[in-house]
Amino acid sequence: MKFLVVDDSATMRRIVINSLQRIGFTDTVEAADGQEALARFDSSIRFVITDWNMPNMTGTDFTRALRARPDGAHVPVLMVTARSVKEDILTAMEAGVNNYIVKPFTPQVLKEKIDALLPAAAA
Amino acid sequence: MSDSRTQEVLYETEAALRLVDRGLDGLRDDEGAAADAPSTGRVASGTSTALTFEGGLNELPAILERANAQILAVLARLRETRAAIETTTLERIASTHEKIREVTSATEDAAINIMDACDRATQMVDDLDAIDAEPTPDRERASTVRASLRDELFVMMGALQFQDITSQQLAHASSVLVDMEQRLIEIARLFDTRLDVSGKMTAIPEAPDAKTYDPNATVRDAESRQALADEIFTAVRSNAA
Repeated sequence: MKFLVVDDSATMRRIVINSLQRIGFTDTVEAADGQEALARFDSSIRFVITDWNMPNMTGTDFTRALRARPDGAHVPVLMVTARSVKEDILTAMEAGVNNYIVKPFTPQVLKEKIDALLPAAAA
Repeated sequence: MSDSRTQEVLYETEAALRLVDRGLDGLRDDEGAAADAPSTGRVASGTSTALTFEGGLNELPAILERANAQILAVLARLRETRAAIETTTLERIASTHEKIREVTSATEDAAINIMDACDRATQMVDDLDAIDAEPTPDRERASTVRASLRDELFVMMGALQFQDITSQQLAHASSVLVDMEQRLIEIARLFDTRLDVSGKMTAIPEAPDAKTYDPNATVRDAESRQALADEIFTAVRSNAA
């Protein structure tokens, strides 16, 4: 299963990708912001993990744009962000995010959230 | 006090100062005219609307009284301005100071976590060496130690998440500093409209793009913040169902 990992922090991209590799997902594509992610997204990508605060296009704007595309309407989107106030979480849900991880996260939390969304990713 | 009220008070203060400035200029002009025409006892009032010198020295006490009133009004405005500046800026500076302190402690915590993991990993490597030195190495035990060693390496990598969060906190602190500097320049301009700050303005670095950081980013209470997110997702989904 191919994952798209979107974060402007190279450190965070590496941490997420290493976490994915550790739980058995080795096929990953990276992007540093929402614009680049939209350009890199194609129907082979079955799962998206995105940050919120990024230059050019934020994670919520990227998710909205992805949802407007026929090939991105149903792909699971997991947001991994430092933002954690109620309004932000609701905004992410409204944008089309399927689940939400607050930074800093543990590998266990990442695995739980991915496991919960795998059926949708496989569909 | 809100930013708009602060702005309003600053404009009012500026207006009052300009009025006094014009009055004093008028007084200077009138004194000059009086010196040029001492025999008439009266001089033109010049361009001033706030202060005049129509009646010569007889009117001086009244003029000084009006100037005094204007100055008192300006001082009152200045006090109000100072209060406004204190309210709006000190809170932001205090919050920024707190963020910078958090950056220091987050960096230290991450360094300690990584060093602890290094110590445990070193011990595990020693254990693996000891197993290897045995006449019949216990492969199962070695495999368990290797798995634990991988866990420790992963702990080290996870600890580096502080970098993303502290960089957001520093971006926020930087934006507050840029904002404060711009405000100080505005205040300096208020008191001296001829102040040339063009060079200084170009020296102020651009504030970080607000889209790239969360002003509330923190490494603290990650578990309770995650629990809140989970609770909201569960509640919204069950309502939708």
